[in-house]
Amino acid sequence: MWRTFSLAAAIVSLALPASGAEVIEPVNKRFAAEDVKEVPDFRTHVAPMLGRLGCNSRSCHGSFQGRGGLRLSLFGFDFKMDHDNLATGEDSRINLETPADSLMLLKPISDEFGHGGGHRLDEGSWEHRLFINWIKSGAKPVPADHADLTRLEVTPTEILFNKQGQTRQLRVIAHWSDGSSEDVTPLSRFQSNSGQVAGIDQAGLVTSAEPGDTHLVVFYDSEVVPIPVVRPVTDRIGPKYPKVPTPTRIDTLVVEKLRKLGVVPSDLSDDAQFLRRVSLDLTGTLPTATQVETFLADSSADKRTRKIDELLETPGYAAWWTTRLCDITGNNDDNLNNVVPVRGRASQDWYDWIHRRVAENVPYDELVSGIVTAVSRDDGESFTDYSKAMSSLYNPDNKSSYSEREHMPHYWARRNFRQPTDRAIGFAYTFLGIRIQCAQCHKHPFDQWTQNDFQQFTGFFTRVSSGTNPASREEYDKLQKSLGLEGKRGNQLRRELPRLLREGKTVPFQEVYAIAPRRNANNGNKNNKNLKRMKQQVAQLEASIEKLKEGDDKKQLADKQKQLAAAKQRIKRFAAQANRRRNGQGAATAKLLGGDVVKLTEHADAREPLMQWLRDPNNGYFARAFVNRVWANYFNVGIVEPPDDLSLANPPSNKPLLDYLTQGFIDNGYDMKWLHREITSSRTYQLSWQPNETNAKDDLNFSHAVPRRLPAEIAYDALKSATASDAIALAMHGSMEGRAIAIPGAGIRRNSTSYALQIFGRSVRDTNCDCDRSSDSSLLQTVFLRNDNEVLTMIDSGRDSWLSQVNRELTGKPLATARNTGNQRGAANIARNIANQKRRIGQAKKDGNDKLVKRLTQQLKRYKSRSQQTQKPRKQKTEEKSTVETKPADKASLVRQAYLRTLSRYPSEAELSRSISYVDGEENIVDGLRGLMWALINTKEFIVNH
Amino acid sequence: MATFKTCDGMKRRDFIRVGALGVGGLSLANYLQMTDAGEVKQPRAKAGIFINLPGGPSHMDTFDLKPDAPKEYRGTFNPIQTNASGVEFCEHLPKLAQCADKFAILRGVTHTLGAHALGSEYVNTGSRPLPALEYPGYGSVFTKEHQGPADLPPFVTVGNTSRQKPGFLGVKYAALATGATPRAGQPFGVRGVSLGNGLTVGEIEKRQSLLGDLDKTFAGVEKNNQLLDGLDRFSQQAYSIITSKRARAAFDVSKESPDFAKPFGEDAFGMSCLLATRLVEAGVGFVSLSLGGWDTHQDNFTRLKERNLPPLDTGLSALLTGLEQKGLLDTTSVFVTGEFGRTPKINTRSAEGGRDHYPRCMFMLMAGGGVRGGQVIGKSDDKATLPAATGYSPDDAAATFYHSLGIDHTKEYHSKTGRPITIVRNGQVIKELFS
Repeated sequence: MWRTFSLAAAIVSLALPASGAEVIEPVNKRFAAEDVKEVPDFRTHVAPMLGRLGCNSRSCHGSFQGRGGLRLSLFGFDFKMDHDNLATGEDSRINLETPADSLMLLKPISDEFGHGGGHRLDEGSWEHRLFINWIKSGAKPVPADHADLTRLEVTPTEILFNKQGQTRQLRVIAHWSDGSSEDVTPLSRFQSNSGQVAGIDQAGLVTSAEPGDTHLVVFYDSEVVPIPVVRPVTDRIGPKYPKVPTPTRIDTLVVEKLRKLGVVPSDLSDDAQFLRRVSLDLTGTLPTATQVETFLADSSADKRTRKIDELLETPGYAAWWTTRLCDITGNNDDNLNNVVPVRGRASQDWYDWIHRRVAENVPYDELVSGIVTAVSRDDGESFTDYSKAMSSLYNPDNKSSYSEREHMPHYWARRNFRQPTDRAIGFAYTFLGIRIQCAQCHKHPFDQWTQNDFQQFTGFFTRVSSGTNPASREEYDKLQKSLGLEGKRGNQLRRELPRLLREGKTVPFQEVYAIAPRRNANNGNKNNKNLKRMKQQVAQLEASIEKLKEGDDKKQLADKQKQLAAAKQRIKRFAAQANRRRNGQGAATAKLLGGDVVKLTEHADAREPLMQWLRDPNNGYFARAFVNRVWANYFNVGIVEPPDDLSLANPPSNKPLLDYLTQGFIDNGYDMKWLHREITSSRTYQLSWQPNETNAKDDLNFSHAVPRRLPAEIAYDALKSATASDAIALAMHGSMEGRAIAIPGAGIRRNSTSYALQIFGRSVRDTNCDCDRSSDSSLLQTVFLRNDNEVLTMIDSGRDSWLSQVNRELTGKPLATARNTGNQRGAANIARNIANQKRRIGQAKKDGNDKLVKRLTQQLKRYKSRSQQTQKPRKQKTEEKSTVETKPADKASLVRQAYLRTLSRYPSEAELSRSISYVDGEENIVDGLRGLMWALINTKEFIVNH
Repeated sequence: MATFKTCDGMKRRDFIRVGALGVGGLSLANYLQMTDAGEVKQPRAKAGIFINLPGGPSHMDTFDLKPDAPKEYRGTFNPIQTNASGVEFCEHLPKLAQCADKFAILRGVTHTLGAHALGSEYVNTGSRPLPALEYPGYGSVFTKEHQGPADLPPFVTVGNTSRQKPGFLGVKYAALATGATPRAGQPFGVRGVSLGNGLTVGEIEKRQSLLGDLDKTFAGVEKNNQLLDGLDRFSQQAYSIITSKRARAAFDVSKESPDFAKPFGEDAFGMSCLLATRLVEAGVGFVSLSLGGWDTHQDNFTRLKERNLPPLDTGLSALLTGLEQKGLLDTTSVFVTGEFGRTPKINTRSAEGGRDHYPRCMFMLMAGGGVRGGQVIGKSDDKATLPAATGYSPDDAAATFYHSLGIDHTKEYHSKTGRPITIVRNGQVIKELFS
């Protein structure tokens, strides 16, 4: 084949690669001799060389605007564009007659020619000779039958350093589909994922730096290969490594890695730490004081395992993990506007549908299948039946739930999920945990994906639509007519529908439906003919206009000019259509990422083969992405971190561990509870956060628990339950009513919790990134906890608070809400409530919802009377408080309660006495406890999970 | 031991953590590093005020009148002379007409997003919205680029309708939202800053001392964990804000002298404007406020004349005059805009007609921070349907706003997925505004 003939002379057998074939020696050797005659190849040598010299980087010619009039594809791999721009046209940088005078060479060699990128190339270097020889032989593009890169072999496959400054040379061999192999070390790009641990230079020489572990990454052609490098942190490796208990498979795999690093895991966490951690992680809920005491008092050996089993059956588990699944699937209310006729309902449907399946522990693949292959109508349902069923679900008196339906189609109806490209990106993010958006515009810099891969993948997303199904137009019109809504559209229609639904009428619903494949999806020839015809027409018109300009017939001229404008417009529209088609719409075939080409015409729904592929045991992403995300929930970082970036250049920190869990998850039928149980039952999960001298700096290998800020919803709920009366705190475990972890959709909702959730970084579910949820700390969060009226009120007032409960127990009376009346903040709050309420009433009136208007009006009355109260002069504090302490209080016991309900542990002796002395310094016990509760929820220990 | 990589193949050196635990406080260290190193630029304006007019104010009935246009376009309002020669605008903005020398009018601004949410996101960020990326609002970028006094929140939005969001910059650059708007002559407290529930500074100090004694669980490991370290630092700053008399006073509009407060009127927008001047005077870096109700599909003229123009006229003129009185106008950059203009041709859906969404032609206002007032930049065509020449985009306006705030709008950030993002990618600074 083509590759071998020109190189035959250059083959010198060096070391034998694993495959046993001869390896062509590297270009820097072959082109070392001045009289070298070899002709290099554009794809194999010239293009990678441009990458190595930095020519196609983003700040240089890789920029989308190009630089100095030359644009190269970012990160290479668009060989046609690169060759065209370099070697063809008026702007060609190639001089075939005197190759050495080619601008491509002159500019990077000498300053004379004003190269913005400066000096990059030396005359007489092997690089220079390689370029010259390519130009001399005609600067040929990549031949159509070019061999494919089958494998990139990098040796050594793993590096173990033991002291600073040690070096190792990487060697890179490309294996091609024509059977040839070449040492491409001088043509590869290298990168270290952490310069802290090891550096790597342009030539692939690795130098050891600080102790730790990371990966070196090698790039050549489309391939990306990571090589692990380890330098032990201590000398406690091999036989010196202490005996560490590894009761589960997870522990064995984690410790295997730690043993290489000389890192010893922390001790097991104590029971209180474990209970708080696992309750927050698994169920998003702080344990109650009683739950903590019961657990601590339990002396049975299997109490942790039983606790995990118990928590997996709680409503908190279902609610919190539904919230997490809503995060990654993108349940955002703002993007679901008008998908159904009732505002807010679509996101509620979404939440309910997933919730039912999480609660029933439906296998993950089945749950996903109900989303991926979703159409709005259940099997065999007509449009009228569908609308009837939905209308009855949306009737306020209805008792059954949307979750009983087969599919959850809203995923496909989102405003930001209409274009095939947006769908491809979002789908890959959600179900594969990869970021293919980079490949939309250029070769993925950290993965194998090319633009071509991306475009072909979008084909799967071209045959599903949402709105009014043209196939049911007749039924739709009939239904609309029967409701007297003929001709009403848009907002006019939307205003009527909620009212009709409340009256129990059947209204037409929008639907998500699959578009059946056309027989002849590829109309390329026909299109070309059409375009040709249109262009001819334009030419004719232009000619006749020229003629008419000479004559007098102004009217005919004007007519023709109008016709010309219209014809040009048609061509433009046609070209835009063709462009859309090329971008994937109506594609006849589509290609799975890293997989097969699928003939879409053979499937009634293009998403069927997509779902089959997700379930394919060889799919390296689907189960893995979920397992890794669940792991990240428990350990602060994923085994792959960031958890939604499963790219080749971002390898797992512990591959055997991720492999084991992924395989286990699949073998157990995608059982989500199995996964949670497997992880939380491991000793690794139950380790203390307290580091030892070997693992303090480890943040990637799970040698100790890492304190992490509570997620927004959990933090908010924790504040509420910590400050609430015993009864309310317990009720928060049983019912999810009013819980932040049960808010269905993200989006801009005006409810009292939204400010807190926003500043604590709830996921808005809008950007295809797990980082949409933030775990950062911020000033506003701290200010909120310290001094926001919302928090102070939680601690302080109302019969539902723990303080009030204590007061009742001590005095027989609930706590007077003195502190909440007559203060400015309360007044402002009430004023705001009144304003909001008025707005809501207005909206409800508009919607014609009389019931709601009535309810809201009553509330408004209450607000107004409260507002009047706040205007009254404030009573003396002491008067109201004089009733406290009619019964002698057990201060120590109250302080213990305060600790249990906030930090889920007993106070130490020192903490107890400091707390009591604070309480003693206040006017009365309740005041003292108020300050103590404030201090406790403001400790770092409260707001982090540890 | 972890690195973040960017889409362009460069590693984010500034994000590489040195032997640290947790990802929580990444940003903080970055932020502190930046300020420690003195990389925060000396801005032209020291503060910014963004006034949003959500709903989309009719350009033809406010600052871009076309008295000679055909009847079905023209509308019923007449232009009046202002104190800036050659500058004329709507008769129902008489107070603004008296201080037209303090602000510049940008006409013939044009874009193509005719939906409220999209248009709003566009004018609040200067970048055309993308489905998979949320751009940060001006206030968040400003907060990232400037460090304010330790005892004041750096970025405040008045009311709860702000569309100034931190986007991909993350929660640490979010605004403190006051929730309510202040009421004339009444003490105004704001969440987190005012002492709530009858607390006194003395009590806070006692509690803080208790907290200091109890918050010892992680003693010794904080330095290895950026989250814990960050919580400690924020704790300090929160404490100084809460105990700061200056911060509380800044929010309390009732402390303003009656003479100064009077021109602001008594409605919510006027009070918000008054609050904005106080906050800027105290040293808050960025304030955003809004005046809604501009979506005049029906009864355009009555609604503008009776409901919308008077508060805008009163509030904005008082704000500009007030800033100047306090000597703050030169160092405060003010930007006023809605999400689009309204259809030049009057619709006939209501008795007197209305105007619908129209992004192709709109106006914006700019003042302070080096902008020369009393001039009109840009021009729309005869019927205000399109810019007369090339026109300006919201990107240009944003670039200009950033420029006056001393921020290089071509600076690059990285999105949370590591993609390089220019603050304003497609904008050009409108130099004429500063001449």
